[in-house]
Amino acid sequence: MNQNKFLIQVTLQDTFLHRLNGETKVRLFVVALVAVIMSFDLRILVPILLASSLGVLFSKPNWKSIRIVFLIVVGVNLLNLILFYLANPSLGEYWCGENTIIHQFSTRYYVSVETLWYLLVRFIKMVTSFMVSLWFILTITPSQFAAGLAAHRVPYKVATIVSLGFRYIPDIARDYENIKLSMQMRGVELDPKKASISKRLKQSLLILIPLIITSFDRVSTIANGMDLRGFGRGKRRSYYVEQDPTVWDKRVRFITNLVFILSIVYIVGSMIWPAPTNMWCPL
Amino acid sequence: MKKPLIEFKDFSFRYKSQTEATLHDINLTIYQHEKVLLLGPSGSGKSTLAHCINGLIPHSFEGEVKGSCKIAGVETIDASIFALSKHVGTVLQDSDAQFVGLSVGEDIAFALENQQMNRNDMVKRVFASASLVGMQDFLSHVPYQLSGGQKQKVSMAGVINEDVSILLFDEPLAALDPAMGKTAIELIDDLYQQLDKTVVIIEHRLEDVLHRPVDRILLMDEGRLIADMTPEQLLTSNLLIQYGIREPLYVSALKHAGCELSIEDSPSSIHLLDLSRHQKKLLDFSSTFISSQATSSQDIVLTVEDVSFAYDKELVLKNVSFALRKGERVAVVGKNGAGKSTMAKLLCGVIRPNTGRILVEQEDYLHLTIKQLGERFGYVMQNPNQMIVKEMIFDEIALALRLRGYHEEEILAKVIEVLQICGLHAMRNWPISALSYGQKKRVTIASILALSPKVLILDEPTAGQDYRHYTEMLSFIEQLQKQLNLTVIFITHDMHLAIEYTDRAIVFADGELIADDQVFKVLSNDDVIVRANLKQTSLYTLATRLKLKPEEFIEHFIQVERGKIHESE
Repeated sequence: MNQNKFLIQVTLQDTFLHRLNGETKVRLFVVALVAVIMSFDLRILVPILLASSLGVLFSKPNWKSIRIVFLIVVGVNLLNLILFYLANPSLGEYWCGENTIIHQFSTRYYVSVETLWYLLVRFIKMVTSFMVSLWFILTITPSQFAAGLAAHRVPYKVATIVSLGFRYIPDIARDYENIKLSMQMRGVELDPKKASISKRLKQSLLILIPLIITSFDRVSTIANGMDLRGFGRGKRRSYYVEQDPTVWDKRVRFITNLVFILSIVYIVGSMIWPAPTNMWCPL
Repeated sequence: MKKPLIEFKDFSFRYKSQTEATLHDINLTIYQHEKVLLLGPSGSGKSTLAHCINGLIPHSFEGEVKGSCKIAGVETIDASIFALSKHVGTVLQDSDAQFVGLSVGEDIAFALENQQMNRNDMVKRVFASASLVGMQDFLSHVPYQLSGGQKQKVSMAGVINEDVSILLFDEPLAALDPAMGKTAIELIDDLYQQLDKTVVIIEHRLEDVLHRPVDRILLMDEGRLIADMTPEQLLTSNLLIQYGIREPLYVSALKHAGCELSIEDSPSSIHLLDLSRHQKKLLDFSSTFISSQATSSQDIVLTVEDVSFAYDKELVLKNVSFALRKGERVAVVGKNGAGKSTMAKLLCGVIRPNTGRILVEQEDYLHLTIKQLGERFGYVMQNPNQMIVKEMIFDEIALALRLRGYHEEEILAKVIEVLQICGLHAMRNWPISALSYGQKKRVTIASILALSPKVLILDEPTAGQDYRHYTEMLSFIEQLQKQLNLTVIFITHDMHLAIEYTDRAIVFADGELIADDQVFKVLSNDDVIVRANLKQTSLYTLATRLKLKPEEFIEHFIQVERGKIHESE
């Protein structure tokens, strides 16, 4: 089976996480992501990080492909943190209200405990949102995603575009390979040793033109085929992949709803009784 | 009295973008539980007529409608496309485009999902429909794991699901190999028998459709209905030749032998055909056969020696060896996934053998780049739109030379030469968008010939073309081949092509080369036929019925046919 080479799953494995239905997964994902985005508080981020990491662990992914993505995400975030620090080394003071300097490089650049704390929280927040998304991607198929969105009253045409995209990506990739071959034989040079970047970019256009034209032809055929099978007939549609909720769906939805209410309480609460500092700093 | 389901009265249609009508004065009635073949060359209007039946006209394609078209008693113009889809189930020609689900089960359920059927009923219905077409064990398969024939079965299950009364098949044979095509025709007939549907098949491959009986044939040409008759009447008329439809091979063979067919002979099936009146003529005919020795030069252009290739440890070609001589025409046949396209990719150098060697004019090709190989092998893709990148014919043909940095004068000389060889010189300043499909195909061949390759590799050169265009294209290739002494490799499913236009067939099955012989010999070998998903021709059946040697009978037929083609030039 070569589907697990990619992050996106077309057929699912059989674990309890995978067996949850689309509605449950989408709701859990949205609630978790909103909680992560709205909060800047390790007391919320760490439990979500642990839970989603466990989720990724249980979904038995192909670690090889995840490792690359994970390294990229961590790398980009570390770079982001460095830039943040360079732009404003006194961030910690704004967020925690204090400034415990441990090392001074110059008048402008110094390291304070609060700034380090801030950068740590920021990093964990990024990693958490990555883990939440990763867990979601690993346990859902594009069709279940469409079904889950539709269950939350997102117009089904939007959801269908997403799953159609996944359906036809491999077809387009195959066309691309064929066109590339025929163009290479005609003389398009894609070898970096033999042609400069600008030349290669210019010549790549020769591959894209036929690819775009043939893909457009196909789109109209697909659209007609869908019309003929009644797509767009009603305001809603049902989904073959969307199984009836099981006990586990009910349990997970209960927890999701609880997290949702707690998040609302937390957000509203921090508006009414603002904390003395801009973020939680147990230092 | 049978109930009329499809009624056209004085019906005409003109597409909005065109100045002339595509359909003229169609008068036609198809009754409940009829099985009808809509026959006609490309551009005859048969697909447009199909669009009128399923409601794409006038609901998706705009245009001017005159007269009346009723489906199940309702004017299509007054019904929505959704209301019509309850009566008419359409199986499209392009089974990849129709397959919108991410798995077999989802795709079969697509129409039911749109009806908001609840999931429990849906799962039962999907299983029942899948069982009817034999796909019940594949429900969780994804499209990339399926063959063309299986995708088509899924499309069929998806439309019978809906309880439609009319099943419309748009060129169901176009993308299938011979054995799959035969299975598809059998399946259509089984559905017709079991489900009490009205069936309309649109095709130009008459013989393949007649593998199972049809009630009536509607012949179309230039937007008009030419004939509405039984298969027997049509086969005994001269209409097929007149309108550029290929006759069944056994009918041609009978005609070559000087037999006059009549309706009483039941000519619509090779098995039912009454040979008693014709036996003598046929035997006389076959006694005039003299086997001809194939003459080809001994210069070897290409040698493949014991080549194996694996994708991700999965062996897709096993110890393949063959050689091609200068000026030879070879058909590479076999079912999808048997190794044909891998072989083509190996020759083009996009992948290289794991073991074994490929020699191009006695020289190991390992050190040649794809670009360099492009000067020795010309690869022409099936769909010309996937190759064309320039607006003008001249620029398209000059592209490969310009990319190689030739001087403009050299380019001009070479392009003019190629244009003349390909009969495109008069059109050299035309925009490519003004060309027909067949002409575009010519341009792509011309653009490859600009590099003067020794070997031309053509991927399904006749796919989707009717008999007239098919003959034009192949005579064109034959003429090029003779003039330039090219070696031509046809990668094809089309056994007619292999029989009539090649000297030799190389047959692949499951990654192995299982036969490398003259075509009529390959087609007389049952084992090869089964393993490579080929199909015995009706000539074989005819010869067996006459107790003649099939090999000789087929070879004789090819000689006569080739003689005819050359006479007509």
